[in-house]
Amino acid sequence: MPSHDRLEELLATWLPRQRWFAGKGREITEVSFVADARLVAGDPGLRHAIVSVRQGPPGNPDAEHYYYQLLLGFRHELPGRLEYASIGLVDGMHIYDAAHDPDLTRSLLTGMAEGADVAALRFRTVPGQRIDTDLTSLASPAEQSNTSLVYGDAYICKLFRRLTPGVNPDLEISLALSRSGSKHIPELYGWIETVLDGESTTLAMLSEYLRTATDGWRLATTSVRDLYAEADLHAYEVGGDFAGEAERLGAATATVHRELAEAFGVTSISAADVHAMAGRMLTRLDEARAAIPDLNPYVDRIAAAFDDLGKHDGPLAVQRIHGDYHLGQVMRTEVGWVLLDFEGEPARPLAARRAPAHPLRDVAGMLRSFEYAVRYLLTGPAAALFADDPAHDQREYRSHEWADRNRDAFCAGYTDAGGPDPYAHDVLLRAFEFDKAVYEVMYEARNRPSWLHVPLGSLARLTG
Amino acid sequence: MTQELTGTQHPPGPQAHGALPEAPSVTMADMVEPVPDTFTHEKPRDPYWYKRAVFYEVLIRGFHDSSGDGTGDIRGLIGRLDYLQWLGIDCIWLLPIYESPLRDGGYDISNFTKILPEFGDLGDFVELIDEAHDRGIRVIADLVMNHTSDQHPWFQASRSDPDGPYGDFYVWSDTDEEYRDARIIFVDTETSNWSYDPVRGQYYWHRFFAHQPDLNYDNPAVQEAMLEVLRFWLDLGIDGFRLDAVPYLFEREGTNCENLSETHDYLKRVRTEVDRLYPDRVLLAEANQWPADVVEYFGDPATGGDECHMAFHFPVMPRIFMAVRREQRYPISEIMAQTPKIPDHAQWGIFLRNHDELTLEMVTDEERDYMYTEYAKDPRMKANIGIRRRLAPLLDNDRNQLELFTALLLSLPGSPVLYYGDEIGMGDNIYLGDRDGVRTPLQWTPDRNAGFSTCDPARLYLPVIMDPIYGYQAVNVEAQQNNPGSLLHWTRKMIEIRKRHPVFGHGTFVELPASNPSVLAFVREFGDDRVLCVNNLSRFPQPVELDLRRFEGSTPIECMGGVQFPPVGELPYLLTLPGHGFYWFLLPPAPEQRMAEPPERG
Repeated sequence: MPSHDRLEELLATWLPRQRWFAGKGREITEVSFVADARLVAGDPGLRHAIVSVRQGPPGNPDAEHYYYQLLLGFRHELPGRLEYASIGLVDGMHIYDAAHDPDLTRSLLTGMAEGADVAALRFRTVPGQRIDTDLTSLASPAEQSNTSLVYGDAYICKLFRRLTPGVNPDLEISLALSRSGSKHIPELYGWIETVLDGESTTLAMLSEYLRTATDGWRLATTSVRDLYAEADLHAYEVGGDFAGEAERLGAATATVHRELAEAFGVTSISAADVHAMAGRMLTRLDEARAAIPDLNPYVDRIAAAFDDLGKHDGPLAVQRIHGDYHLGQVMRTEVGWVLLDFEGEPARPLAARRAPAHPLRDVAGMLRSFEYAVRYLLTGPAAALFADDPAHDQREYRSHEWADRNRDAFCAGYTDAGGPDPYAHDVLLRAFEFDKAVYEVMYEARNRPSWLHVPLGSLARLTG
Repeated sequence: MTQELTGTQHPPGPQAHGALPEAPSVTMADMVEPVPDTFTHEKPRDPYWYKRAVFYEVLIRGFHDSSGDGTGDIRGLIGRLDYLQWLGIDCIWLLPIYESPLRDGGYDISNFTKILPEFGDLGDFVELIDEAHDRGIRVIADLVMNHTSDQHPWFQASRSDPDGPYGDFYVWSDTDEEYRDARIIFVDTETSNWSYDPVRGQYYWHRFFAHQPDLNYDNPAVQEAMLEVLRFWLDLGIDGFRLDAVPYLFEREGTNCENLSETHDYLKRVRTEVDRLYPDRVLLAEANQWPADVVEYFGDPATGGDECHMAFHFPVMPRIFMAVRREQRYPISEIMAQTPKIPDHAQWGIFLRNHDELTLEMVTDEERDYMYTEYAKDPRMKANIGIRRRLAPLLDNDRNQLELFTALLLSLPGSPVLYYGDEIGMGDNIYLGDRDGVRTPLQWTPDRNAGFSTCDPARLYLPVIMDPIYGYQAVNVEAQQNNPGSLLHWTRKMIEIRKRHPVFGHGTFVELPASNPSVLAFVREFGDDRVLCVNNLSRFPQPVELDLRRFEGSTPIECMGGVQFPPVGELPYLLTLPGHGFYWFLLPPAPEQRMAEPPERG
C-alpha cells in the first residue's frame, strides 16, 4: 500500500482537473484522508477513500474544507484504455480513477447485492429488490457534478463526489416514493452509506437506468427548432408541438407532489412566515437591482408582486417538493414522464434543501424552464444562424406563443391531475416566478452575460 | 391428433432460418405427413410463410382492365402478375371479390361462392391462383364472416319463411330492446343496431349498415355453413382470408357484444378446420382494437397460437405519422412498449395506408389517451381523421419522407402490407369522396387511361388522376421501371433486402438507447441474423450516439451498399443522419479473435 503522503500530493494536482471538483480556481493547501477502505485486494486492487480538501491558508482551522469521495484503482501495469484515468505512480504502482475500470466497479454492485459492511461502509439493497451483479459498467460521459456508472442497460449508479454529511435528499425521497409505488421516479435498487462527522451520509445510489429516455430539455428544444423553421405557422400549427407533452408532464408533476405529501406529510407556515418569505424575495431583488441596472424597468412590478405575497393572510400549506425543478430534471420514457434528482438546489445547505415549501415553487421552476427552452436557439451556440435575420421579430413573437401555449398546457395537466390550480393562486405563482427570474438575472450577469437577455426578455413580457 | 398434421408444435428455431428465405426450412422437413399440394411453385411449402411475407393490397376494380369495359378484372390482374413478381411481393390481398349489390364496397356479400360478374368467374379465379403460385406469389382475399347483404338468398329466405331452414340464420327479435350495451359503429348513418323488417314483422340485428344483417352464430347451421364457405375457397387453392369484422360474431345481453369468448371459440374451431385440411394457409383478423385486445385473436400462446395466424396492428400507422410530425420517437416507442408479446407462430400485419381511413376508434380508454391528446390539439392531424388519403399526398410528395416511412414499414415488427400504387407514389382525388379518392386506376403508362384500360375514358369506373404532380403522365409504372432512380426501383430494392433477412419477419425487437430524441434506433435479432435500424424522424440532419456495447467488436455493414462502418467499441457509437435519413446495418457476430492482417494490397 503506497503511503498517503505521496498520494495526497498527487491528488492535490489531479482533483482540480476533475469536472466534479467544486472549488476550481483556488489553490488547494491540504488533502488528507478521512477514510480508506479496501474493497478489492490484489492486482487490480480497489480502495474506497474519502478525502478532506482544504483551500485557504495552511494551518488556519477555519479555512473552508470539503469532502470528496474517491475510488482508487491500483495496478502494476496500466492498460492503455485506462491511461486517461491515471492519477499517478506511487512506489511502482499505477493509481487511477477506478470509476472507469469495469473490472473493479462490479464490486460496488456485489456489495449492494450482498448488503455488505466493509469498514465504515454500508452497502444496502432496497427491501424487496434483487440486484443482478453480472453487468459491466461504463462511466457516463455526461457532464455532471457526480459520477454516474451505467451497468449494462439495467442500472445507473450515482456516485456522489462532493460529500455533505447527512442523508442525501434524493435517496430519502426515492426510498419513500419507491415504497409507495410511484410510477414517476426511476426504480431504486440500492445505496451505499457511511458515517461522516458523526452523521449517516449517503455515498451512492443505484437506480433503474432509463435506457430509452430523453431529458425534457432536448425534447422541448426539438419542438422549438421545428417552430423556428416555420416562422409563418402558429405554435399550435407546427408539427413539433410540445403541448401534449407539457400537459402530461404537468400531470406527472402533480402526481409526484401528491405522493410526496402522502409520504412526508403536509404542514403549514404562518402568515408571518409568508411575510418573511416575501421580505427575503424583496431583499434579493434589491441586491440584483444594485448589481444590474438593466433590471430597473421591471423592479416596480416585481416588487409589487412580492408585496402582494406579503399581504397573504392565513397559513400556507407546505410539503416536500422537488426543489430544483426544470426540464433537465425530467425524462421522457416510452411509458411517460419520470422525475429525477430530488436533491434540491445544490448550492443551498442541506437543511434548506429538505425544508418543506409550496408545490407551486416547482411549477414556477418548470415554467421558467420553458422560457429558457424557447430562447435557447436564439441565444445558444446556434444563435449566429438567426442573427440579423429579418424574421427575428417574428421568431420572438412565436417564442412567446410557444411559451404561453406550453405554460397553459402544463398548468392544465397539473390541475387536472389534482394539483392546486396555478392560475387560481396567481399571487403565489407570480412571486415564485419573479423570484426565480431575479436569481437567473444575477446568475447570468455573473456567469453568462450573453444569456442575460433571456430572463430580462421574459421579465419584460411577464411584467408587461 | 390434428397437431401432427399441422406442424405447429415445431417452433421455427434459429437453425431453421439461418440462410436465405428460399432455403428449405427445417420445420417443413419435420412434417410428419404430406399436406395437400396447393402451392405448386417449386419452393417447398412452409406453414409459416406469412411471418416473412410482404403483402400487397389489390383492388381488382382498379388494377387492370382486360376486357375494355372500364373496370378492372381478374384477367387484368393475371396479366400483371409479372409486374408483382418483379416488385418482389409475396402475397396479394384482394378486397372482396364476391357477388354483391355493392352498397358497401363489396363487404355486403349476396353470394359467398360466386365471383362478382364484372370481375370474372370462378374459372378466372382458379387461373389467377395457378398463375400466381407459378410465380411464387400467394393470394388471400377478404371474407366477411359477421353479416351478409340483405340481398343474400339466406336473408330473403329467413324473412319470408321464419320456420324454414334459414329462419334462424339471422338475429331476429320482436323488440329493438336487446343488447343495448353494444355501441353503434356507423353513428353518422345508423341510429340503432336493430331494423324492422315489414316482411317478417320482426326486428333484425346489424352491427354495420341496415342492409347488412348479422348472421346468427348461435345457430349451429350458420357455423357449419360458414365453414363450408371457407372450405369452398380453400379447395380452389386460395392461401387464406382476411376475416372482416371478427369481433362481432356473437351477441350476449349485458355485454358490449365485442370480443366475446363464444367468438373466440368459433374462431378456434375455424382454425382447427384449416389446420386439419389446409396447413399452409393463413387467417388474418381485422379487429380494429387496441393491441392488448387484438392479441386475444391469436389464441393460446402455449400452442403457438390457435386462432388467427395474423392480425392488423392498427395503432402503429398513426403513431408513425405523429412521430415524424413531432420529430421525436416517443409516439412509436410508446406503442411498441405497449404491444404485448404474441404467440410464437403469430404475426402482426402492419401498414402505412390502406383502403380505410386513419381512425382513432381504438383509443377510447383514458389510459390510452395519447392519440386523443395529440390529435385533438393538432388541426392538421385532426383533419386527416376520417379522410382517406394516399401516402404520397399525406407526405407532401416528399421523397425523403416516403423512403423513411417505407423503411419503417419494412423494418418494424410484423409483415408489411403495401397498398397498390403507393410503390410509385400515386396521388388521390379528394373530390371523388372519401371512399373512392384512393381507389382510382393504377397508373401503368403515360398513355390513354394510364394504360389501365382501352375503353372510352368516359367509361372508366373512376377517372384516372390527372393533376400536374400525381397525374399518370408524371407518375406511372412504365416510366419508373425505366428509371433506376425512381421510387419504384427503390421500393423494390428495399423489399429485396428485407426478404434476404428472415430477421425482419421473425426477429425480436429491442429499442436502443439513443442520445437524440429525434432518432429511433432499434435492433431486430434472430439468432446470428441481426439488423440495426436507425431512423431520423426529423427533417433536419441529426447526430446520434448509440449505446451498442452489447455488440462490441461487430463491424456494421450498411444494407443498401454493403459498406463497412467502423467497428463497435465500448464508447457510444456516433452516427450522423441527413434529414429524414435512415440506415439499416447488419451486425455480424464479432470475430472470436482478431484475424491476421489481410494480405498487403498491390
